[in-house]
Amino acid sequence: MTDLGMIHRSESAVSIELQTPDMTLNIGPQHPSTHGVLRLIAKVAGERVTDVEPVIGYMHRGYEKLSEVRTYAQITTLVNRIDWVAGFASEVPFIAGVEKLMDVEVPPRAQYVRMILTELARIASHLVFMSSYPLELGATTPLMYALREREYILELIEEVTGGRFHPNFNRVGGVKPVYGGGSMTKKWSLDLPEGFLQRARDAMDRMEQICDDIDTLVSDNELIKMRTVGVGVIPRDKALEYGLTGPNLRASGVAYDLRKVENLLPYDEIDFDIAVRTGGDCYDRYVIRIEEVRQSSRIVRQAVDQIPSGPLQTKVPRVLKAPRGQVYSRGENPKGEFGYYIVSEGARMPYRLKIRSTSFSNLSILKWVLQDALLPDLVAIMGSLDFVLGDVDR
Amino acid sequence: MSATPDTPATETDTVDTDAAVTDTDTVENDTVETDSLQEWADALVDELGALCSTVEFDTVRIHVDPARWVETINQARKKLELFSWLSAIDWSKDVEVGDTVEDVDALEERFEVLCRLSSVENADGAIFVAVIDKENPSIDSLMPTIGGAEWHEREAHEMFGIDFVGNTNLAPLYLPDDFIGNPLLKSYPLLSREVKPWPGDVDVEPMPEEPEVTATDDVESDEDGEES
Amino acid sequence: MNFWLELIIKLVAILGFVLTGALVVIYAELKAGSHMQGRIGPYYAGGRWGWAQPLADGLKFLQKEDLSPIGADRTVYGFAPYVVMMSTLAVFVVIPFGPDMVGRDLDLGIYFILAISSLSVLGILMAGWSSANKYSLMGGLRAAAQLIAYELPLVLAAAAVVVQAGTMSMNGIVAAQSETWFTVAGIDIAMPFLLKGQIISFIIFMIAVVAELSRIPFDMPIAESELTMGYLTEYSGIRFTMFFLGEYASMIAFSAIAATLFLGGYAAPGVPDNLANLVGPGVMLLKIALIVFVIIWIRWTWPRLREDQLQRLAWFWLIPIALANIGVIAIFKVVF
Repeated sequence: MTDLGMIHRSESAVSIELQTPDMTLNIGPQHPSTHGVLRLIAKVAGERVTDVEPVIGYMHRGYEKLSEVRTYAQITTLVNRIDWVAGFASEVPFIAGVEKLMDVEVPPRAQYVRMILTELARIASHLVFMSSYPLELGATTPLMYALREREYILELIEEVTGGRFHPNFNRVGGVKPVYGGGSMTKKWSLDLPEGFLQRARDAMDRMEQICDDIDTLVSDNELIKMRTVGVGVIPRDKALEYGLTGPNLRASGVAYDLRKVENLLPYDEIDFDIAVRTGGDCYDRYVIRIEEVRQSSRIVRQAVDQIPSGPLQTKVPRVLKAPRGQVYSRGENPKGEFGYYIVSEGARMPYRLKIRSTSFSNLSILKWVLQDALLPDLVAIMGSLDFVLGDVDR
Repeated sequence: MSATPDTPATETDTVDTDAAVTDTDTVENDTVETDSLQEWADALVDELGALCSTVEFDTVRIHVDPARWVETINQARKKLELFSWLSAIDWSKDVEVGDTVEDVDALEERFEVLCRLSSVENADGAIFVAVIDKENPSIDSLMPTIGGAEWHEREAHEMFGIDFVGNTNLAPLYLPDDFIGNPLLKSYPLLSREVKPWPGDVDVEPMPEEPEVTATDDVESDEDGEES
Repeated sequence: MNFWLELIIKLVAILGFVLTGALVVIYAELKAGSHMQGRIGPYYAGGRWGWAQPLADGLKFLQKEDLSPIGADRTVYGFAPYVVMMSTLAVFVVIPFGPDMVGRDLDLGIYFILAISSLSVLGILMAGWSSANKYSLMGGLRAAAQLIAYELPLVLAAAAVVVQAGTMSMNGIVAAQSETWFTVAGIDIAMPFLLKGQIISFIIFMIAVVAELSRIPFDMPIAESELTMGYLTEYSGIRFTMFFLGEYASMIAFSAIAATLFLGGYAAPGVPDNLANLVGPGVMLLKIALIVFVIIWIRWTWPRLREDQLQRLAWFWLIPIALANIGVIAIFKVVF
């Protein structure tokens, strides 16, 4: 009855007929894995993503425009809201740029306080990543473990700055006075709270412990490796082309850390290593952040030991006017290079402030790296880039 | 790149009055650094065939002929591999928002398109500047060679109205599709501020209980009479 | 006894057992999961230990509006959760809790279970298709692909037990495990199949069970971070509750099957025959609880696999191993 040739032909005819159009899947802006309000318009053929168009801007707050009508002191309030997961780390480059413009010298103790808090912010940010990334892969428990430890860091930050997320602690010429710090008899003091340094050391013990725990629970987990090793590989040249910085770049084999090359803060007095991995895949981007927490904890320990005594503020004019000039000031945010291009025309406010936010560049590679990914990998890759929507949209 | 404040600490034997010594040290260091940076920038200008360079506050700006924009950037990327960002500045006499430039009359109205490239081996990095006129702002796109420029150019396009020739996807990035205007132009008003002035517009942030900030020297010795 | 009376008593007993059991398992999951994560979990509901949390959750769900999307196929959409629930409930008919504590001791017991439990795929496909939601559709298709792929290892692992027991009746399988295997110092030793060479079948069976239940690490049909809630995305109110209860009820059902097939069912060492109907349910519940705990434990520890990895695991590993396992067991059965 059956003719093999017929079957063959009819099968091929069927396969042509079954060429179905790709389904457009709208992921976000409200979706559990988009960390807020990112939207991806994905074309999917079954499980495979053939094309993806990221749509951002749902959280655009116009900080660059707004900064043109804000004084330098007021802008610090804005900039710690860009990357709110590590608010302190995004304040420092801005204030350092203004200080460079105004030729203000910051006392060494204030520098060290900034450094300690930046590293605490880095740990807090990486703990958010260490908790949320396994969640994208379906593991719920690391979330609780890492977020619990993060509370200790946030408490430390709150103790010094008064804010858990938005410290707004930097002032031109130093850091702001601390409520209730120093001694019990006074309401305000100009130094760190009593016992803060010891509590920071204790917290670092916990951080090293949680890194080991997360290593055991997640990094060495065979299922996690199946999901992440070799997934979403970003080679070195693509990473540089798309302006990836921070852990994302270092996971692609580039040992580039602004803490080593820039000197906004006295990192040159501290002994620490740059964590580098060469795979450029999701797994490397994940474990490199755990290693960075360990290094940050090393930095905090040394900084706490070495912190010089002295004032936390220098005298600055009552009205801050930066002289005419243009400066690009950048620092190592937990997510990478965070920079401010400040154009001053000698007024109280900048003529133009370009904010080079990290996640914006880190996320711009999304379209390239998601080509031909599977739908579950889309989530894995997107999460591994560790972005914050406030940082993308500014 | 700049002089760090630890300079006086390393030369403590000569320090008597902190402020004076620190100042001179900083100035000296700055000039030394700036000179070497200037040399580096000049060498880069020669190598790339750019127009000129300026170095201020450790920030190197290389002025590029807009006609050779893509070519220069691509050549520079062989040395400065990391594409960091791209943006623009609107130099305008007509300022709706914020302060004008110092000498408005002498200002030549123009857009400056900026592109920052960094080295990933050391602290080298430069901002490439192309000046384009405001009448018909257009410049070649970096997108064909630098994929990461796409989003930055889209942002500059919607914020300044600069046309990037060759960018295939200049749809608005941040703004709604039906938005009219280019918000980062100096002539674009902040509409909510037209209705109501910014209430936080004050110069001075008073320090608590003590208007003149003098920091205490030590953690423990802060009993000396600040409770006025 | 009157047939109808007996039927009603049995139905009510099964329904009561399944619903309370599901609530207990939900509570256990909340509490065990919390403790594994270093949390306390439910605390206030019911006055102590938050014991009434699942009840409160259930009442909350019942109060919620039962939404259905505009584009949904209302009939299919509304019917889907009941199909899932039905297939789960039907499984309990043949699960023995004692020599006589069984809904109906079918000769084809295990066959019936495997056949009827596959029906839940239909319900899930119906839910995914009729929701008029792309996430639901993908979740439904994933579920179908997954359940079909893991039906085979499940059946093959159960078949290995059937080969060894020589019967398909659930009571018969339990009886086969209570038989004296060997005698040491005058004490007759009976072993469950797990210890009588079925360890590989047990592992394969448990992997397949977790996959059939769509729980982590095989929860791709739901996969919150990818498909929001998969085929459940559009469901709310009572229908969602049905799915939810169904999930936990089938967790009990599969645990009960695993306990019967591999852990000796209601039989326990040292229980005289005349007490078996009395002690049996307790023994069975203990064994079910053990397996349920393992499933909960896995869920709170591991991440999710990818769809292709899941299929590869089933077709490349589990099915060939299960087939080889049957062969080996058949040879031993014939030889000894």
